[in-house]
Amino acid sequence: MDRELSEGLSQEIAFSAKGTGLSGRAVKHERKRWAFAYLLLIPTVIYLLAIFIYPIVQSLVWSFMHYDLLDGSPVRFDGIQNYIQILTDGQFWYSLWNAIWFTLFTCTVETVLGFFCALLLNQTFRGRTFFRASIIIPWAILTMVNGLLWDTMLQPGTNGGAIQIVLHALHILPSSSNPVWLATVTGTVFWAGIADIWKMTPFMTLLMLAGLQSLSGDLYEAAMLDGAGFWKKIWYVTLPQLTPTIIIAVVLRVMGAFRVYDILTEFTGNDTTSVTYLTFDNAFRYFYLGKASAMAWVSTLFIIALIVYYIRALKRNMEYA
Amino acid sequence: MKKLQKTSTDIIPTGYLWGGLVLLLLFSVLPFLYLISTSFSNQVEINAGHLIPHHPTLFNYRQLFSGNGPYVAHLVSAMRNSLEVSILTTILALVFGSLAAYAFARIRFPFRMSGLFAILSMQVLPSVSIVVPLYILFRNGLSIPIPFTHLAFQLTGPLLNTPWALIIAYASGTIPYVVWMVTGYFSTVPKELEESAYIDGCGMWGAMLRIIVPLSIPGLAATFIFSVLNNFDEFMFANAFTSTYRSQTIPIFISQLVGKHSLPWGLMCAAGVVATIPFVILSMVFYRWIVTGVTAGAVKG
Repeated sequence: MDRELSEGLSQEIAFSAKGTGLSGRAVKHERKRWAFAYLLLIPTVIYLLAIFIYPIVQSLVWSFMHYDLLDGSPVRFDGIQNYIQILTDGQFWYSLWNAIWFTLFTCTVETVLGFFCALLLNQTFRGRTFFRASIIIPWAILTMVNGLLWDTMLQPGTNGGAIQIVLHALHILPSSSNPVWLATVTGTVFWAGIADIWKMTPFMTLLMLAGLQSLSGDLYEAAMLDGAGFWKKIWYVTLPQLTPTIIIAVVLRVMGAFRVYDILTEFTGNDTTSVTYLTFDNAFRYFYLGKASAMAWVSTLFIIALIVYYIRALKRNMEYA
Repeated sequence: MKKLQKTSTDIIPTGYLWGGLVLLLLFSVLPFLYLISTSFSNQVEINAGHLIPHHPTLFNYRQLFSGNGPYVAHLVSAMRNSLEVSILTTILALVFGSLAAYAFARIRFPFRMSGLFAILSMQVLPSVSIVVPLYILFRNGLSIPIPFTHLAFQLTGPLLNTPWALIIAYASGTIPYVVWMVTGYFSTVPKELEESAYIDGCGMWGAMLRIIVPLSIPGLAATFIFSVLNNFDEFMFANAFTSTYRSQTIPIFISQLVGKHSLPWGLMCAAGVVATIPFVILSMVFYRWIVTGVTAGAVKG
């Protein structure tokens, strides 16, 4: 994919360079092709303008409005009141911090685990297809079923969920201790992170595996001749070559993890566990649409910053390929 | 038996390799097996702390599916809604997105790359950015404002609690995904094939429908499966736009079961197994296509 796009990019440059050299007929033909391209783009462009761009602009406008569906007050311009309100609100900062900590925790673990899983599955061994296919089971499970599963496993009580039973049997947890894992916000965010790691590590593994498969063996042979061991090969051969893939995979996961919402609703009713949860509750539980739009825009800005970085990384990869 | 050829990319010693593989397999499979085994346990065994039931029972499944029970009607309608929404969304997105993808892949036109990247960034923006305006849009129904007046041409009635709200909302994220994926597949078709179609007298539509699309069927199929899986899993829009039993989807059904904490765990796990097994099997069967979907797109959030 990347290679085709980079080819397109260079063709485009070549095209604009020779643009003046075209004969009148060729220009006419080219114009006709352009018109056809724009015709084909019309449905998509209109759809995205109506159902994506327009709403996102609307939510920016509403974030400066007093817009409360329940108290019957008129919608009115309110300046930056919504932003002042959320930025001076401890709850908002707390939920933002929880989302950030969730993102850091899951993405770090998923990257490291995914890297080593990809290394394992990149080797040649008997039954490789079986192992490769079986690791995507967690990823194929619906997010809400994943939450249900971990909720079951985390149940407290002397003979509660599987995790306590296993930890008791291994004597990691003294048999007198029966913690209620999901009683605190910290605990909830941590275990939601574990559930996310279980589900999304296969995604990281698949991306990195694809990256590893495109590396050639020559550098490993050279490293072997130099007497490099396992860790040296990883550090000097694998990681430098895999870095572009890793960056893209990590940025994608950061954007995915930061919006965590669905699984938390199964673990807790406390909406300060993530900023998306708090935004959603402000919109659809209390119907403070203005305030919720302001909160949504804080998240949106964060993601837009990442998108800019992501696209630059993608472009760099294309030029590199 | 064929001897496996070792290559220089095999850098992990055999002992560590198999140790790692066993750990990886346990990590991936054990929680899932626990879900299945709990679904075959009765509450007495779960209370007694048996990880694997000593006397497996179909009790939970019978309760879930019993004709006069409280669950079966909701489960069936949720499954129907989920399938309907995710398949219709995917078809809509494939039609719109493939047309745009053809333009991006086969025609060099001004602002091509900028357009492609603009669409890509829409794919990764979070649903929470647009969920509030979409809610109001669906509450009022779709309409086209007539410029310079306060009038509007009303296209539909209110869409909340109908599948259309979800289809329209999901397509806004799925179309960019389809454009990005299918552009990749369309650009792999050799230029010569297209040119020979022109020589044989095909127009631009003919070349697209007779040459490019048929040759990209595997890629389109991968995109189809991947997008159905993705939309089936969606929770936030579904939670915001549907509140009636008849309009809810599978993720909402599961979340409501979990919300009723008096329910036995075995029953909930049985519901979880029923909801998720089709996808686990599909993903294993279409493993290759799924991998292409993940890696070629590299845009799933």
